[in-house]
Amino acid sequence: MLNIESLNVTYPGGVVAVEHADLFVRDGESFGIVGESGSGKSTVLRAICGLAPVTGGQVLLDGTPLSSPRPASFYRRVQMVFQDPYASLHPRHTIDKVLSEPLAIHGFDNREQRIERALEDVGLGTGFRFRYPHQLSGGQRQRVAIARALILEPKVLLLDEPTSALDASIQAEVLNLLDRLRAERGLTYVLVSHDLAVVAHMCGRLMVMQNGRIVEELSRTDLQGQRAGNAYTQSLLAASQGYRRG
Amino acid sequence: MLEVEDLRVAYPTRRGMTEVVRGVTFSLGQERLGIVGESGSGKSQTGRAILGLTPSPGQVTAKRLEFDGQDLRNATHAQWRKLRGARMSMVMQDPKFSLNPVMTIGAQIVEVARLKRNLSRAVAKTAALDMLAAVQIRDPERVFAAYPHELSGGMGQRAMIAMMLVTEPDLLIADEPTSALDVTVQLEVLGILDRLVTDRGMGLIFISHDLRLVSSFCDRVLVMYAGRVVEEVRADRLHEARHPYTQGLFRCLPTIEGNAGPLPTLERDAEWAI
Repeated sequence: MLNIESLNVTYPGGVVAVEHADLFVRDGESFGIVGESGSGKSTVLRAICGLAPVTGGQVLLDGTPLSSPRPASFYRRVQMVFQDPYASLHPRHTIDKVLSEPLAIHGFDNREQRIERALEDVGLGTGFRFRYPHQLSGGQRQRVAIARALILEPKVLLLDEPTSALDASIQAEVLNLLDRLRAERGLTYVLVSHDLAVVAHMCGRLMVMQNGRIVEELSRTDLQGQRAGNAYTQSLLAASQGYRRG
Repeated sequence: MLEVEDLRVAYPTRRGMTEVVRGVTFSLGQERLGIVGESGSGKSQTGRAILGLTPSPGQVTAKRLEFDGQDLRNATHAQWRKLRGARMSMVMQDPKFSLNPVMTIGAQIVEVARLKRNLSRAVAKTAALDMLAAVQIRDPERVFAAYPHELSGGMGQRAMIAMMLVTEPDLLIADEPTSALDVTVQLEVLGILDRLVTDRGMGLIFISHDLRLVSSFCDRVLVMYAGRVVEEVRADRLHEARHPYTQGLFRCLPTIEGNAGPLPTLERDAEWAI
């Protein structure tokens, strides 16, 4: 479904963020990217969306190379949810405005019903429709961000640390919501996180990145069986067990 | 070393005073005490109140707030100056906002050492370099001369820990000291704190939202909810916690070993907040 071939991303000033990244995500799959800060994991997502300066390689959707800038039809099939729900919603737009803008841009009909349905789907209800972001909690805002991405009925959702700004109990609710939506709609996810446990919970396959390179690709069963071939992946696995004295 | 009884922190709002910490009681010896809770539970406010750092117009009251036999409730500015930095210190979450951006790391550590321990310039510099080495910075001379923006997050956090510890305090309050760091760096920083507690007999209050991390690092954990301590457990017995909030908080974390089914969510009971 989504294919990346020897992708290179170099930021102005010569900073190489991603080097020779290859990636293949199947239709209906949930694929995880794990890495620490600066590993290039978010840049891969941004490159898929056309938000990063790609200097080599290509991104293919259903076998077709994507043009830059991405056409509007691309964003109807691929949408992104960002990490910080406090920064990704316009502070002076009501939720109604946030949700109606993509509908207007893409010329959707039945906007009223679509907005109400989108709010119901993410478990917020229509009572939230005319509120401002500052009147919502972090978890509620992230639900709005998910509703905004899903209102265009995309097939692929790119999730950039969707729960790392949230409390553990709220994280569980948002992860369950994402899981349910994927099952109901047959969505494809690419989930980026620094938290190995979140990725292991959400994704069947994942890759580990370090310093802009893919160091390993493995399945959830590999991870659960502690079958990591790479030393760096092993250190991440050990770190996820918490602190060990001595 | 530290005795806290019925600590309360309140802020004025349009609807009168709102208490964000509501009667916290505990005592601390030479140990690692964890305070865990979600955002808004009052864990950071508790830490700040102990150091007298509650921002105005917040009000702190307590039946007892004693550090090493000294009553902190009505401490004067002069008393606080003698205590803070010298005997009790605080490490904040993000080194980016806690270090002075226009002073070198070395100058900042030397300033603390000279002010709080009355060291001469030369001795203070040696102490600063030793401290930077103690927090496992490989090239102390380079970091000493560097400005905060020239350091990575992990390095900055180590430099800040070095600055807080150069005065050899008896009590260290660490408020989410590793939350801004990568997991592998996080463990190194915890290792440094751990050694300092063991070697110097320091008391440590470790404030964090990360239940799993706290349970693996601390000796004892206070679980806070809505401004109260709902449960106190031994860290290695956290899985036997009795309060439904602690249990819920522990279970809602995804695990690598777990199945892919829905995570148990936390059903909040209005009674917990009473």
